[in-house]
Amino acid sequence: MPNIKLRSSDGETFEVDVEIAKCSVTIKTMLEDLGMDEEEEEVVPLPNVNSAILKKVIQWSTYHKDDPPPPEDDENKEKRTDDISSWDADFLKVDQGTLFELILAANYLDIKGLLDVTCKTVANMIKGKAPEEIRKTFNIKNDFTASEEEQVRKENEWCEEK
Amino acid sequence: MSSISAQGVVERASAELSKRINGLGLRGSKHHSAKGSVMERVTNVFCGGGAAAPEKPSRLAARARPGPAAAAAQRRPRPPPQYLSWEQLMLDEKFLGKFFMYFSACERCVLARVCTRWRDVLYRSPRYWTGLVPVLQCRELRGAQGNERTRLYSSLLRRGFHNLCLMGASDEDAIDLVNSFPLASKHIHTLSLRCSSITDRGLESLLDHLQALYELELAGCNEITEAGLWACLNPRIVSLTLSDCINVADEAVGAVAQLLPALYEFSLQAYHVTDAALGYFSPKQSNSLNILRLHSCWEITNHGVVNIVHSLPNLTILSLSGCSKITDDGVELIAENLQKLRSLDLSWCPRITDSALEYIACDLNQLEELTLDRCVHITDIGIGYISTMLSLSALYLRWCSQIRDFGLQHLCGMRNLQILSLAGCPLLTCSGLSSLIQLRHMRELELTNCPGASKELFDYLREHLPRCLVIE
Repeated sequence: MPNIKLRSSDGETFEVDVEIAKCSVTIKTMLEDLGMDEEEEEVVPLPNVNSAILKKVIQWSTYHKDDPPPPEDDENKEKRTDDISSWDADFLKVDQGTLFELILAANYLDIKGLLDVTCKTVANMIKGKAPEEIRKTFNIKNDFTASEEEQVRKENEWCEEK
Repeated sequence: MSSISAQGVVERASAELSKRINGLGLRGSKHHSAKGSVMERVTNVFCGGGAAAPEKPSRLAARARPGPAAAAAQRRPRPPPQYLSWEQLMLDEKFLGKFFMYFSACERCVLARVCTRWRDVLYRSPRYWTGLVPVLQCRELRGAQGNERTRLYSSLLRRGFHNLCLMGASDEDAIDLVNSFPLASKHIHTLSLRCSSITDRGLESLLDHLQALYELELAGCNEITEAGLWACLNPRIVSLTLSDCINVADEAVGAVAQLLPALYEFSLQAYHVTDAALGYFSPKQSNSLNILRLHSCWEITNHGVVNIVHSLPNLTILSLSGCSKITDDGVELIAENLQKLRSLDLSWCPRITDSALEYIACDLNQLEELTLDRCVHITDIGIGYISTMLSLSALYLRWCSQIRDFGLQHLCGMRNLQILSLAGCPLLTCSGLSSLIQLRHMRELELTNCPGASKELFDYLREHLPRCLVIE
């Protein structure tokens, strides 16, 4: 199998099977667009992913390289979050900062499966939390005015399941 | 790496980088001379132009240029991937749109309160809110500022709600809705009034206003009279629920029968309704009315059942839950005459015995759902009859206190059963319950308050029925 080199933002180079690297649609597209030959010893710089995260991403992609392509999402259907495989759950037993960085990397590299499972993990983290706790967890600024906040509280506290 | 200082890393990396860029550039230009150096192109793709390290994107910059990729895309076949920082990702519409799908509609109510961006993304799409009904607490709203209600009403439209519940509404609240929510006339299809002191006058003006309404619920509205129903029910209504309204009795059913020819679903909970009222349904309704629920209509007897089976032969869903005067003879009438029934609820009908179940098993060949909660005279013999019903997929036997393990053995032959509740059945033992693993198609099994169900049993069931939700 031909290999490709990926370089993290802090300059570390990882040699990866091309097929594994292509789990990332971003890398795949780039290789296609640029017509890079697989025999070439290219080094792909990933200026937004540090070595610790890139290592995790490669580890995840290697484990999942033979997964069938994920089914097309039904855009309107609520997605389950209780079906994370035990390997993924162990893989994601990391501190919150690392988890968030994995989401950023999965989003940037466009790795659907990794983005899916990291989003599930984060969703589970904030389910059942109050708005203020969610803001704190995600470092989001409360930009409601006092009256807007009261309004949006009523609009949403006053909703019931049918 | 961790032992090296940050400065060291940067220096080492930049030296490494320039070395490789040079090497790459040379080799690249040999192979792809027409397209420029590989490194240049790679860098363009990943950094959005220029070989310099990417400028840290700021929120303001992203806002100022709504399509940062757009300009670059003209030069390249596909837009370059855009790296988002955490702050940007938390405000990114595309990401949030997907992220919010990992939550239920109820959970999204909390998310909408996090910040304006989350609210706006969520409010834009009705798909986030299906399954919910907005419930306006009228008493609390009365103290509100002038335009607060108007804003509340417009938020309903924004979120694509077509249903509305008013809790504790008075006539003034009804008039306010008519005056300050003009678009309700087109957009509100379903209205519930609960625990409201609204009178006939208020109800009439509401129903006059809501020209697109086809589903109405009145629950706990003790000022509404039967004359009021005669005055305001209109033929657009296809689904009506009347419960716990003190003035509702036979005359109200008369109004429903006369004024709602297209009625499809009728739910009634009224202690004073008698057998006579159930003979009022019109010939038109006998075709249209599919669903009838009579909850705790204590006065109803088998005579009432005679009236139902004659006037409403096309029922597919019937509930007589808590109509405690119904006996086996009444059930025999139902089984013989309502052969289209798919769902039958006889819970809290304590006079029902095994004979009733024999009638049901013999005649109701299309029945998919049967509820017998609190039918305390049912025994294993009755369960034996039911177990012959091939179409049955849901069976509720909560607090049927005479069922034993022997009855369970019958149930184990029901290959199509998907939902079963045995909650509160005191005589079932652990070994009897463990035989339920034979029901391979089971999706839901409820065993709350079963003294025979142990921790080990639940583990055993979950292991052997992995697709089944086992409720402890």
